[in-house]
Amino acid sequence: MGPMRAARKTPVVIPPHLRVPGVSDEELAPALGLYQILLPEGELAVPERELPALEPAQLIEMYRGLLLIRTTDERMMALQRQGRIGFYGEARGQEAAVIGSAYALEPEDYVVPALREAGAALLRGLPLRAYVAQIFGNANDVAHGRQLPCHPGSRASRYVTMSSCVASQLPHATGMAWAAKIRGHKTVVMGYLGDGATSEEDFHVALNFAGVFEVPVVFFCQNNQWAISVPVTQQTASDTIAVKALAYGLPGVRVDGNDILGIYKVTKEAVDRARAGGGPTLIEALTYRVSAHSSSDDPSRYRDESVTAEWKQKDPIARFRKYLLARHVLDEGADERLREHVAGEVRDAIAAEENVPPPPIDTLIQDVYAEVPAHLREQLEEHKKSRS
Amino acid sequence: MAFEFKLPDIGEGVVEGEVVKWLVKEGEHIREDQPMVEVMTDKATVEIPSPRAGVVARILVGEGKICKVGQAMLAIDEANGKPAPAEKAPPAESAAPPSAKSSPSAQPSPGASASTGTAAPATPAGKVLATPATRKLARDLGVDIAGVRGTGAGGRVTADDVRALQSGGAPAPAAHAAAAPIAIRPAQGDERVPLRGLRKRIAENMALSKRTAAHFTYVEECDVTDLMALRARAAARAQERGTRLTYLPFIVKAVCAGLKKFPMCNASLDEAKQEVIYRKSYHIGIGTATRDGLLVVVVRDADRRSIFELAQEIERLVKSAREGKARREELSGSTFTITSLGMLGGVLATPIINYPEVAILGVHAFREQPRVRAGQIVIRQVGNFSISFDHRVVDGYEGAMFLQEVVRYLQDPTLMFLEMV
Repeated sequence: MGPMRAARKTPVVIPPHLRVPGVSDEELAPALGLYQILLPEGELAVPERELPALEPAQLIEMYRGLLLIRTTDERMMALQRQGRIGFYGEARGQEAAVIGSAYALEPEDYVVPALREAGAALLRGLPLRAYVAQIFGNANDVAHGRQLPCHPGSRASRYVTMSSCVASQLPHATGMAWAAKIRGHKTVVMGYLGDGATSEEDFHVALNFAGVFEVPVVFFCQNNQWAISVPVTQQTASDTIAVKALAYGLPGVRVDGNDILGIYKVTKEAVDRARAGGGPTLIEALTYRVSAHSSSDDPSRYRDESVTAEWKQKDPIARFRKYLLARHVLDEGADERLREHVAGEVRDAIAAEENVPPPPIDTLIQDVYAEVPAHLREQLEEHKKSRS
Repeated sequence: MAFEFKLPDIGEGVVEGEVVKWLVKEGEHIREDQPMVEVMTDKATVEIPSPRAGVVARILVGEGKICKVGQAMLAIDEANGKPAPAEKAPPAESAAPPSAKSSPSAQPSPGASASTGTAAPATPAGKVLATPATRKLARDLGVDIAGVRGTGAGGRVTADDVRALQSGGAPAPAAHAAAAPIAIRPAQGDERVPLRGLRKRIAENMALSKRTAAHFTYVEECDVTDLMALRARAAARAQERGTRLTYLPFIVKAVCAGLKKFPMCNASLDEAKQEVIYRKSYHIGIGTATRDGLLVVVVRDADRRSIFELAQEIERLVKSAREGKARREELSGSTFTITSLGMLGGVLATPIINYPEVAILGVHAFREQPRVRAGQIVIRQVGNFSISFDHRVVDGYEGAMFLQEVVRYLQDPTLMFLEMV
């Protein structure tokens, strides 16, 4: 937890009600402050020496990850409006929280996602076509259309399929990390959650057990300030979400959720600590859901969209782009080519997957039972007869 | 070749949407993913981007119109360049596929417009809609489910349909028969009187109003002690002029002042044109009990008459209505109505709007009541006012503000001088 203090621009004021025996200012400050490296205009909030050790090629890889999920999201929202897919939930404005955190993981680590982390699956090698196939629910989809669109899962990428139930994934993350500890594996599990999940008992169960058994899990909360239509101010009376960690004996860290370098740095420290046997961490990335909750939602009905407009000005991709241009890691021409390339990838993936037929009817039963029960076989036969 | 864009289910389980705005015009070039139309559903207003590139050949659903999910909205000519040849717009039926042939009662009539066509999803010919339990029942009873006429929702075959056929009976009657009037059992000593004349008109008008307007009623108390004192002082002068001064002229005056501040309460909803008509004249109807039933006499241009003139006019109208001598124009054309039962006013009521007006004020009995004023219990003259609004036009907030305004004048009637003409 130490390094976070040095990076803060202004000292964190500890409210008197949080001054309790056994909790030091060193523990409280990172959970109450807001760690930042990149400020909205791309300038640095910290001295050079505090920048995370990332090569230019790695920075470009992260940038490409941001562009890929944004471009995919934009196209998918259009496809939904055109009636070509049934549903979509985009991660617009939160891409840095997804990519910055996932980039801190190793290939052998596990991701247990909440909802808006598909970009992490892509970053970890899930082929774009496989993601698009999942959205269409076609014959190429490994789940054969059983999941909601934009709920991928990938064994190869160690990306667990999303549950859609709020917070139910967190005890899984703790359990998987506990298993890794018992088996002596050096894997870390990243459990994602939203601000809404912190009101669920699964959140408590997961953090409590993780703290008691000191398992290698990192809880990463994308606090986008809206649980569908419930604002975070109605979600918790805590000063921050990160400070909740202290009650479970874990470090809590709050970071600017639109600052990809700050996110990467705090997550890397938490992941490294977990891998080294130092136990779990709760990270709160403060961001904003600038889009609707999903394609079925209209936020203008329940919130002040002038606030959304302010957050759009803090766009995480624009911020990182300014930094990359200023550092000459990227130039305008290369940026343009990269964007065109990504747009082409997305276009090609949609073109390839859109006309793939739905999964064969037999898969309805085959994937569920090792041996198909007689009554289901009978139903299937009857169905086929009626179709012939 | 023209590509037809059909409104998709843009939410979860959306069946229709209103076309708010077209962002493209016929003959205009359109790019893929270019925003083309704004559609408002019951869940959200969304912008729909074009799935194809080409030229907009035809816009099939106008702004403000309802479009069913599955109904064609526009045609895009994908052949580069010229707009599409004059194709006929597809008939409404093709927009909303008819439901299964097994449910003839659910077929849209040939003349049905697109906006009233059924939005039932297409059912491939020959496919029978039935739950697994019903299918099992049919199998167990040896009934071929394909031969059963479904009477359930969307032509679904129900268990009863299967049993009816198995027992050799006729298929169950169609479920969508129009609701028949309730049969009333006669009882000894009943007297049956034909509904006609004024009674029949009242029955029709009241039912129409209740069926059409979205009624809500709001009630407020009014301290009329000062109003009573003013009326007592003015009564003598009125008598000199040969007029009996009631409270009604004061209430009419206060209502006119209130309506000028809240014009949505002096309005009508033109359903055919989907427009709200704000009335610029203040013709106040007064509900009048007559031997034959309720009549509404109309004080025309009430806002331009003095309290005494109002008193005289109301007295004249009520008298002629009760004598059955009121002329047609004295009984029609009101823009807002007041109903008062005088001494029978009671505590409160839920008045029925004099449709197509959008509000009606009920005046209730004034009584001596203990009230707390400046920390002391005092005896005051107090009465309630109830007002029903058509919520389609008047929201609760505005309606409440209107009544509060009226009450303010009546509690402090000297304020009414400020509104005098």
